[in-house]
Amino acid sequence: MTFSIEGARIFARIHTGIPVLGDILISETLVVSWIVMAIITVLCIVLTRNLKVTNISKRQALAEMLVETANNFVRNNTGGGHKFDKLIPFVAALFTTSVISNLISLIGLRSPTADLSTEAAWAVVVFIMITAEKIKASGILGYLKGFTTPIFIMTPFNILSEIATPISMACRHFGNILSGVVINGLIYWSLSVATNRLFGLIPGAVGRVLSNIPFLDVGLPAILSVYFDWFSGIMQAFIFSMLTIMYIANASEG
Amino acid sequence: MQETQSLVTIIPWTFIAQILNLFIQMYLIKKFLFKPINKLLSKRAQLADKEIKDAEAAKSEADGLKQQYEEGLAKAQAQATQIVQDAQKTAQIRAEEVVKEAQDHAAAIKAQAQADIEQEKKKAVNEAKNQIGGLAMDIAGKVVEKEIREEDHKKLIDEFIENVGDAS
Repeated sequence: MTFSIEGARIFARIHTGIPVLGDILISETLVVSWIVMAIITVLCIVLTRNLKVTNISKRQALAEMLVETANNFVRNNTGGGHKFDKLIPFVAALFTTSVISNLISLIGLRSPTADLSTEAAWAVVVFIMITAEKIKASGILGYLKGFTTPIFIMTPFNILSEIATPISMACRHFGNILSGVVINGLIYWSLSVATNRLFGLIPGAVGRVLSNIPFLDVGLPAILSVYFDWFSGIMQAFIFSMLTIMYIANASEG
Repeated sequence: MQETQSLVTIIPWTFIAQILNLFIQMYLIKKFLFKPINKLLSKRAQLADKEIKDAEAAKSEADGLKQQYEEGLAKAQAQATQIVQDAQKTAQIRAEEVVKEAQDHAAAIKAQAQADIEQEKKKAVNEAKNQIGGLAMDIAGKVVEKEIREEDHKKLIDEFIENVGDAS
């Protein structure tokens, strides 16, 4: 028995012949992403059915709480004003997609966030938003000039630190989720090996049958998944959204 | 074994698809969650504002009414006090008048009574005088029938006159 961890499975390959972009891969990442999107959208629709001004249902109270939490989260982290209200749905989409993607591994699907393409896509979008906000705040020349501060010699480092922002955001999120996947895989594998050895001690056919049922996989992985799936998954989604808001808010200050 | 992508890699088309997915998700969340809920929240805020405004209007109206009532009440009280004072004054004047009238009346009655007494006294005196005169005549007649002596006569006459003079 050897342990190995694979990337996302590829269900279909559409040949395009475009040089750099390559083939379109209908991978597990994409399929699960669509499932995640469907879950979120259905949740939104279910939560906002039968809206009433007074005498609201628990469902509506939850929907209102979510919206107000998102509103307050963005407003409080950008200085309390309504200046970044147009960002709220974006940040909410980022956060919910991230959370549901991270937690969907609990039902046995592969997290879309365990594929660097996903986080890279998000980080690049955030990076473009940050840059756009900076250019809007100080003009294109002011933005370019910002790289030469405090002295001209610092320019390469400034460019490096600018590019480091999306890379660090993407890799932080990806690394955490992937490490969860790897550790969970390792735990399941080692526990099944342990079960195999333990019940293999029973002689005869009974031992052979029992040793192939991973009894020890019940229990311990559930406890560890509280940290590696729940805590880490929610934390990373929170950090990613938080950093998005902070970077954009900072960028607009010039 | 199914084909898999490598563990750490960026697939360009997946990358592009995930960017699009993010924006589609943003649009869906905005349309199905934020728009209806924010609309509802602002509607509720408007409703609350309206209710507060209504309450304020009602309060100011009530305050106006209260002031009006208080003014009315104060006026009524003043009027009542005035009425009571007037009544007291009138009553006093009337009482004084009654007392004075009674006093006058009493004085008149007293005067009348005194006059009556005077008259009665006079009448009595006159009657007494008349009787005395009669008596004097009788006495004189009796005296005349008797043997008249100078000394007796003179003494009698003197006594008589003296007595009469005292009585009058």
